[in-house]
Amino acid sequence: MNKIYLIIGFIIMVAAQWFVPGQMIVEQESVLTEGTAYKFKTRPIDPSDPLRGKYITLNFEMQKAFTKDSTINYGDALYVCLKNDADGFAKATIASKEKLDNKLDYIKVEANYYFQDTISFRVPFNTFYMEESKAYPAETLVRQANRDSILNNCYGLVYVKDDRAVLENVLINDEPIKDYVERHIKENTER
Amino acid sequence: MNSKIEKELDKLLEAKVISRSVQEDIKAYYAKDTVEKPNKLFAIFGVLGSLLTGLGIILILAHNWDDFSRATKTFWAFVPLVVGQLFAAYTLFKKRSSAWKETAAVFLFFAIGASMALVSQIYNIPGEMSSFLLTWIVLAAPLVYLLKSHAVALLHLLFATIYACNVGCFNDTTPYLYLLLLGWLLPYYWMQLKSKPSSNITGIFNWFLPLSLLITLGAFVQWDDSFVFLTYIFLFGLFYNLGKLPFFEHQKMRANGYLLLGSLGTVFTLFITSFSFVWDEFINDFLSINDTAVTIVIGLVTLAVIAFMYSKKRLRPFNLFQYVFVLFFGICLFKEGGSFVPTILVNILILALGVFAVEMGARKNLFSVLNYGLLIITGLITCRFFDTDISFVLRGLLFVAIGAGFFGANYFMYKKQQKQQKLTINE
Repeated sequence: MNKIYLIIGFIIMVAAQWFVPGQMIVEQESVLTEGTAYKFKTRPIDPSDPLRGKYITLNFEMQKAFTKDSTINYGDALYVCLKNDADGFAKATIASKEKLDNKLDYIKVEANYYFQDTISFRVPFNTFYMEESKAYPAETLVRQANRDSILNNCYGLVYVKDDRAVLENVLINDEPIKDYVERHIKENTER
Repeated sequence: MNSKIEKELDKLLEAKVISRSVQEDIKAYYAKDTVEKPNKLFAIFGVLGSLLTGLGIILILAHNWDDFSRATKTFWAFVPLVVGQLFAAYTLFKKRSSAWKETAAVFLFFAIGASMALVSQIYNIPGEMSSFLLTWIVLAAPLVYLLKSHAVALLHLLFATIYACNVGCFNDTTPYLYLLLLGWLLPYYWMQLKSKPSSNITGIFNWFLPLSLLITLGAFVQWDDSFVFLTYIFLFGLFYNLGKLPFFEHQKMRANGYLLLGSLGTVFTLFITSFSFVWDEFINDFLSINDTAVTIVIGLVTLAVIAFMYSKKRLRPFNLFQYVFVLFFGICLFKEGGSFVPTILVNILILALGVFAVEMGARKNLFSVLNYGLLIITGLITCRFFDTDISFVLRGLLFVAIGAGFFGANYFMYKKQQKQQKLTINE
């Protein structure tokens, strides 16, 4: 291969290999710094990814919105407008296939099923990666706290900007889940 | 130089078959050859080392070091990538040996995956495994040509296969992008076939490419309510006919994955369809629209390969294995009338293939082909034991007969070979 083509090809390849993760970072950072923060009530469970490590899947309470559009099918992309409820948690107001011009923040979701002016949906930011030894305790501790009714709230802190949303952290009783798990593991070992 | 050759040379010198000067010449030839030959062992261990290091880095990063800040973790996400790119640039522009290039390319391949995985982890970016794999494969794809890396070409094929299965198996999506990923590799494979048709790596590709196609066909067809056996027979027909192309026909049998996979796959699928219940199951269904399209495309490509061989006058002597897919299609047309006729016809076809292989083995003096034919016949009889009411005595007699056939045919071949050897010596 001609040397000049080789150099150009190599530079393009290296640039692409930088561009893809770099663009991922820039997009996420812009949402985190410029976006609006919402609290999404949730419950974590613990699966694993062979390449990206252990994570908890978040089962959000907010999974239904009002819509008059009965043509929405399973798997369609939807825009769901957000508001905060009286307790300060995110609440879905209205869902639509097109962006609505109502100055509300919105998230992009995937439609499940339509029934009587209500559409159920799946939110995309349901994966929170954790240090490998903490993912499973996170699930069990939250379940235990729920059962003992000592858990006031468990929520995902999500930054929203345009149709992009970034899950920044998961908090239990306003404490980051990492610290919550660490504290409980420490307490259990000291007992 | 190989010590075995050295010992043989000493023996030949002692027996006065060769002179000392000839012995020296041969030694000098091998010594020169060894110097010129790239160090294959270094390449293999280099690739293995990179493979393990790369996978190790991915696992270490997957631990999720949550005591580090986001900025620190982001910095570490790029470290393996930069190391891999610098290593690749060094081997490429300093024109290091292929062993160095292979090592650098494999390391960079895994560094790309590690970097993307860590960024996804830091920002909790959700997403399917398939889209993650696709981005990874595309970003690493230029390495195949820039560093001329066989190992990355194989990894590309392996990851493309995993991607296709991830997208298409157990759901309704068809992984069309797999075909593009495969297409990216074809010029590289073509260059290998042209420049090094008998090398080990070309032999490995001759196995991996059809294997990848065989595995991913499952992602292109719908298994529910579809008579996919026809599609598979067509694919095996394509493999067998590809294996008969001039490129592959003169190679060692073990390096011709197309021929072996095509032949074994055809026979195996025929064995399955030789049971009447298989036809009963699908009595009212044929192929879905999607599967019909896939089968037609494979069939047309196979016919094109046969037409090419016809134009090159390479279809003589007649070989029944090359046309099984057409005959099986003909058998499928009788399906509407019930399972009886197609079942009988498939059994006759298997028997014909067995007899044909025995005849071909005897004609070409090939023990392997002869015994393969006998095995096909044995397999057919064994299969019929499960769904027929033949008496035990008759079954026993059939087995004795086929056993005697094995002995007889091999003995006949052995005698024939001995006779030919004697004739050659006398001449």
